Amino acid sequence: MTDQTNDAKQYDKETAIGGDAQVGETMIELRELTKRYPGEETPAVDRVSMEIPKGEIVVFVGPSGCGKTTTLKMINRIIEPTSGSIIIDGEDVTNIDPNHLRRRIGYVIQQIGLFPHITIEGNVGTVPRLLGWDKDRTNARIDELLDIVGLDPSVYRSRYPKELSGGQRQRVGVARALAADPPVLLMDEPFGAIDPITRTRLQNEFLRLQEELQKTIAFVTHDIDEAIKMGDRIAILKEQSHIAQFATPEEILTNPADEFVEDFVGTGATLKRLKLTRVRDIEVVDDALIGRLDEPREDLQKRLNESEWTAMLLLDKDNKPARWLRAPDFRHDRPAAELGLPARAMVEKQATLSDALEEMLVGSAGVAIVVDGRGAFEGILDVDSIITSIQTMRDADAEFYRAAKLIDPADEVA
Amino acid sequence: MAFLEYLSSPSVQRTILVQSLEHIRIVGYAMLFAIIIGLFLGIAAHRFPPFRGPILSVTSTFLTIPSLALFALMIPIVGIGDRGPIVALTLYALLAIVRNTVSGLFSVDNAVVESAAGMGMSKTMRLWRIELPNAWPVMLAGIRVSTLLTVGIAAIAALVGGSGLGQLIFSGIRRIGSPGALNALLGGTLAIVVLAMLFDLLYLAIGRLTIPRGIRD
Ligand SMILES: Nc1ncnc2c1ncn2[C@@H]1O[C@H](COP(=O)(O)OP(=O)(O)OP(=O)(O)O)[C@@H](O)[C@H]1O
Ligand SMILES: [Mg+2]
Repeated sequence: MTDQTNDAKQYDKETAIGGDAQVGETMIELRELTKRYPGEETPAVDRVSMEIPKGEIVVFVGPSGCGKTTTLKMINRIIEPTSGSIIIDGEDVTNIDPNHLRRRIGYVIQQIGLFPHITIEGNVGTVPRLLGWDKDRTNARIDELLDIVGLDPSVYRSRYPKELSGGQRQRVGVARALAADPPVLLMDEPFGAIDPITRTRLQNEFLRLQEELQKTIAFVTHDIDEAIKMGDRIAILKEQSHIAQFATPEEILTNPADEFVEDFVGTGATLKRLKLTRVRDIEVVDDALIGRLDEPREDLQKRLNESEWTAMLLLDKDNKPARWLRAPDFRHDRPAAELGLPARAMVEKQATLSDALEEMLVGSAGVAIVVDGRGAFEGILDVDSIITSIQTMRDADAEFYRAAKLIDPADEVA
Repeated sequence: MAFLEYLSSPSVQRTILVQSLEHIRIVGYAMLFAIIIGLFLGIAAHRFPPFRGPILSVTSTFLTIPSLALFALMIPIVGIGDRGPIVALTLYALLAIVRNTVSGLFSVDNAVVESAAGMGMSKTMRLWRIELPNAWPVMLAGIRVSTLLTVGIAAIAALVGGSGLGQLIFSGIRRIGSPGALNALLGGTLAIVVLAMLFDLLYLAIGRLTIPRGIRD
């Protein structure tokens, strides 16, 4: 009941300020939160302060052992902080009864921890029962949740955890955490122990779900790609949970705060951008040196020698790429169809730059050949144009950042 | 077959039946006490590491005391009759129950207990609703082993004035060499073996009824 009046009040406040729903209020606040494990010299988490806005997914990401799990588990006090405080929805919860606190916070861990001795129904209904919901309400809620996570209640309600696949178990884990509709969700590598294909599917489903639910979520992962995908905001943590950067994924990709962030984001960021951009979005070379399989050798050789190109692409009568020729290849006395190297690394226009790059690495010419749906030649894509496109994709911030890098004092010394 | 003839006599059957019921009574009480105490000690040993070593070594020491000596030692404390044997058997039964309770509780996946805590279950709730049910198959196996052990040792009760099938066996032993002695010895022993098998079946049924499908293998 108090929750509803609170919501109403907050709504009033927002509209009074000007109705800007984008300006989120803080749902979880960590103040100087510290954990020192007994017998350890240095704290595992050292005075971390952070504000997590309502309705957002904040991802904690960082190298192994940097204190992500410890930080997360202090929020529901599975690990009791040594000092500092936790404020949830305006209430200081650092010293309240942890069991009451936890019933308002959904909790999902990598190992899931479904109760093996009770059915899926019993697992999902655990918190509603603890909260004293009546049978009908609990049952209706269990069906609703199983539906939400894509498990048919009539099939799965009465199964035991061991009778489910890993992905299904993780879905039940999420359903169980959502059971009493908690405003806050804590997730520690929830999709960590699942095969990549299922993981991607679960991530997508979860993002779709979150669009409706608008929970406030603290999410731990060690995978920067997952962080970029899942996070509205990302906290990149160094040892002892020191925050290296706390910003949106775009900002972290284009404007890493320091070398640590840059290293950590590393190739992941570039690959991420390459996956977002398609071949048709960038300029391809369409004036490449082209020959025909049925042209006389001498003509081909002459054209290649006279051009600035180091290689010539031979097309067959259907305009499909056939061979790559370079000047030394003409020393061999063979028909054009057997000279040089076979044309490989062909991509269509809707392929992503990441696909194209992969094809290039596999192909022999260091370039990808762009073809249409029927396999006919359209143009050539080389590594340079991919790099150029990455650069133009970056915004002014990034330009500024790179300019700053160029006059890096470390470089001047060297 | 003299033995079959012996068994077919109604008076012998009556004796075996009565003594079997007495035997079951002694074992039943001993197991009841052993389960209550063993559960308590097992949980304590699991939860409080400083107690673990002492609890386990004391309960295993009991098992090393020769049974005849332990039964006799009970006479000055609780007197003649079934009480001494019940106490002694309780002590013998403890080890397997305590040890299996401890290892059963340790076998419960940490993630399961942690997620129960994460959902707001108190320590006591976690113990009764999550930890003990999951430890139960291992605990039940310990109780079963203890029961079979006590069914056998309970025969010694007859030597300290107690009841049970030991009476038949020792009446045979005392008259060994004389006619019918071997029959009494065999009859008592056979009845104990049958009792042990019945207890085993009972535990099989209890397991079927109390271990949920989710943790049965
Ligand atoms: N119970 C504990 N007792 C002592 N030290 C601990 C304990 N739990 C964790 N630590 C230490 O605290 C530090 C942070 O651990 P934490 O589990 O939070 O790391 P993490 O960032 O989650 O790492 P990972 O990505 O490997 O899960 C580590 O150095 C770890 O060794
Ligand atoms: Mg961790």
